[in-house]
Amino acid sequence: MTKTNTNASQGHSAFEDADRLQSMKFSFSELWNRHGSWVVTVINLSCFFLLWELFARSGIVNQIFVPTASGMLSTLWEGLTNSAPPNAAFSGQISDHLLFTLTNLSIGLVIAIIIGVPAGLLMGGNKYVETVLSPYVWALASLPRIALVPLFILFMGFTVKMQITIIVLSAVFPIIINAWAGVKTTEKSLISAAKVFGAKKYSIYLYVILPYTLPFIIAGIQQGIGRGLVGVVIAEIFGGSNGLGFLINRAADTFNSELMYAVLLLLVIVSLSLIKLTTMLEKYVAPWRQQVKM
Amino acid sequence: MGVMGAEAVEPKHRESSVSAKTEPVIVAKGLTVGYKLHRERKLLTALKDITLTVNKGEFVCLLGPSGCGKTTFINAISGLVPAWEGSIHVDGQPVTGPGPDRAMVFQDYALMPWRTVESNIRMPFELQNLGLSKAQIDERVARYLDLVELTGFEKSFPYELSGGMKQRVGIARALATEPKILLADEPFAAIDAMTREAMQSELERFVTKTKQTVVFITHSIDEAITLGDRIVVISRRPGRIKEVLDVNLPRPRFDHELKSLPEYSELREHIWRLVKDEALSGAHGEE
Repeated sequence: MTKTNTNASQGHSAFEDADRLQSMKFSFSELWNRHGSWVVTVINLSCFFLLWELFARSGIVNQIFVPTASGMLSTLWEGLTNSAPPNAAFSGQISDHLLFTLTNLSIGLVIAIIIGVPAGLLMGGNKYVETVLSPYVWALASLPRIALVPLFILFMGFTVKMQITIIVLSAVFPIIINAWAGVKTTEKSLISAAKVFGAKKYSIYLYVILPYTLPFIIAGIQQGIGRGLVGVVIAEIFGGSNGLGFLINRAADTFNSELMYAVLLLLVIVSLSLIKLTTMLEKYVAPWRQQVKM
Repeated sequence: MGVMGAEAVEPKHRESSVSAKTEPVIVAKGLTVGYKLHRERKLLTALKDITLTVNKGEFVCLLGPSGCGKTTFINAISGLVPAWEGSIHVDGQPVTGPGPDRAMVFQDYALMPWRTVESNIRMPFELQNLGLSKAQIDERVARYLDLVELTGFEKSFPYELSGGMKQRVGIARALATEPKILLADEPFAAIDAMTREAMQSELERFVTKTKQTVVFITHSIDEAITLGDRIVVISRRPGRIKEVLDVNLPRPRFDHELKSLPEYSELREHIWRLVKDEALSGAHGEE
């Protein structure tokens, strides 16, 4: 008798639990858990731009140094949609320059990946390749790439080729080093398991080392994008008549601070979007890597 | 050299065992195995002069303190490490490398994290040609998934599973190829105590039913007694065989009040006396 009672009450509470789960889906706390960070970000950024606007309008600092946020945003909008930004001392839309920079960056990154991934894999997989290449990799990886810009201008002039060379050199080393580290840190027990179950030399690469290294390679590409963007902007600032770096330089020369800030904001957006893209790529190719939400 | 070990493999140890017919599957003679320590530029002998025969359908437990070379021994059987001296034969053939007749279960599961449960179990079939059709492989994978009670988790990734479930996948992967010899390297060491007992009993039931030959490493005396037909006690590094003991307790052991049997405590006491000094000196960090 007592037993049936407990059973019944247990069954009842189980139903209650299910109801609670159901109702929680629509509760405020659940909504907050899901979308709260977005709300905070939107409010946070709105406050930031509002304070900026107030600060710029207050006249504490000359608007040549700090333009209003609204001015910057409208310049950005017009520059992306109209033929040329207001008061611009150059031809073409901001979007043309953005496209130019992005095209070069993409070409450079693709070349860096084509060189960097096999180089890193070879270095991780072969002792001799590693011994021979590692001093050069470390030397070039630790050398600030900006220092090489004058040299390449000397070699190739203010050409697209020079810009792409700088992007490749900036992006390739993080990719090499990450791929290399990925191969080196592949868990030994996974390799043993593959061997026990019949993997020969090349299938160990195909079945264990490559999949294990893939997230490392993507992390390398992610760093490469950041470095490559630095490289491309520096190359454009040094010389050339196209690209976002050129725009920044020209805006500074003509005291067009609204344009300068607009391009800087654009660079932030481009950089963040590319990073987001690679994070999504990682989620897609390596869903088994537990993601740290950042 | 090797005389003590040779005594250990004399058939008299098997006389009282359940299966009357003895057919040697693994034969190690004077096996010495070690590793190169690159950093210290020296050779380390992990296992010295091991002579042991494992018969068909036998469950042999290797028992010894950590770092005594137990793992090296099954690595030598699996063909992952070569013998320095002596020989090791599986089914009359000298071991030159891994083969489909031997499968292993690893202490840290060693599941490919990018593969789903099902895909992990399928991997041995992708790596080696066992002469099975696609339908046969599908059937095998499904059958062994079912055996380890993981049906419904086919599409899960290892990180989504508990330790016990991961090791079930590891066991299914090893058994699905239906190897002659199952090698297990402390498979339950990292699993919580309750799950461990359940899995031990399932393994015992499976092995008793299928007469699977098993070489099982453990550092738990209780695990060795509850699972093994024979227990090989190995000394500290370099590992040598200290003693080989028959376990003549009724099977299936999980269905009996095993631990209350006088034979059980006798055996346990005996093994403990064998390993006590080694374990203690290990605990004090002496070399």
